Amino acid sequence: MSDNLSIYKECFSESLSISSEIVNKNLKYNEIDEWDSIGHMTLISSLEEKFNISFETDDVIDFSSYTKGIEILKKYKIEI
Amino acid sequence: MLLKNKTALLTGCNRGIGKEILKIFANNKSNLVCCVRQADEAFSNLINQLKIENNIKIDVYYIDFEKEKNIKEIASDIIKNHQINILVNNIGYLENSLFQMTTSQNLKKHFDVNFFSQFEFTQYIIKSMIKIKNGSIIFISSSASLDGNIGRSSYSSSKSAINALSKVLSRELGRYNIRVNTIAPGLADTDMMRNTTDEKVLNDIVKNLSLKRIADPAEIANVVLFLASDLSSYLTGQLIRVDGGI
Repeated sequence: MSDNLSIYKECFSESLSISSEIVNKNLKYNEIDEWDSIGHMTLISSLEEKFNISFETDDVIDFSSYTKGIEILKKYKIEI
Repeated sequence: MLLKNKTALLTGCNRGIGKEILKIFANNKSNLVCCVRQADEAFSNLINQLKIENNIKIDVYYIDFEKEKNIKEIASDIIKNHQINILVNNIGYLENSLFQMTTSQNLKKHFDVNFFSQFEFTQYIIKSMIKIKNGSIIFISSSASLDGNIGRSSYSSSKSAINALSKVLSRELGRYNIRVNTIAPGLADTDMMRNTTDEKVLNDIVKNLSLKRIADPAEIANVVLFLASDLSSYLTGQLIRVDGGI
């Protein structure tokens, strides 16, 4: 597992307080109780801090799934 | 030294109430990031003087709060280079006109400066506060947002929007230990107030104030200092009138 991938997964499991086993490409916003709007903002803050980036507001809104997040991070030159 | 080891970001701090906030924060040993529209010599001199007298860091950014792109660029640069603990949103625009003579352009300008720019700017700056789970945000509104003064439909509406935004933010950001409060100053002795308030109207208002005088801007700044400091650590979501008693 690449460093960035493990950081990415860790951000999800820590900020949403979920098991690392369910952090995978099937994970989508609002499909589990933990990834609600509050969890989302905590996740965004965690990713910003770990990758030293600052998301555009549109990207915060578009970040709708584990997979979409990987795509968005490419804009910030973060390859997962 | 209520703000020692903190960094405060102040907007619109080169005159009036903002300038007094700048001086009082500096005297309380806060490091400062100042956002003003344009350079001016008197302001640069004041900054240098405050730095030397208080042994603090002060950085100045020039920003056009009517340009969204500029707000974003400057805000991103600020949070990249500073850990912000306190944000004082003080910029304001005021142009009087009776409702039936108020153009949509006038209304739009009030909302652009007094509301949208602060909405966008705050959205960026809170990233810095969320990271450390600590912060205090203070919006400078106006008693006009509550009193509905004649000729101020645009101004009062835009400041009322700020009051509402502040309340919502206090609820959304409380979980990150970020406090959000608003002060609504009454008449303070500033150029902006003198230029936009008819003298007869001013005298009539003063007669009805409990304290029978307008505020020194430092008296408004002192309340901002309280809200910025840990003295108000359990206070959030509040709108405080500082108006001499109406």
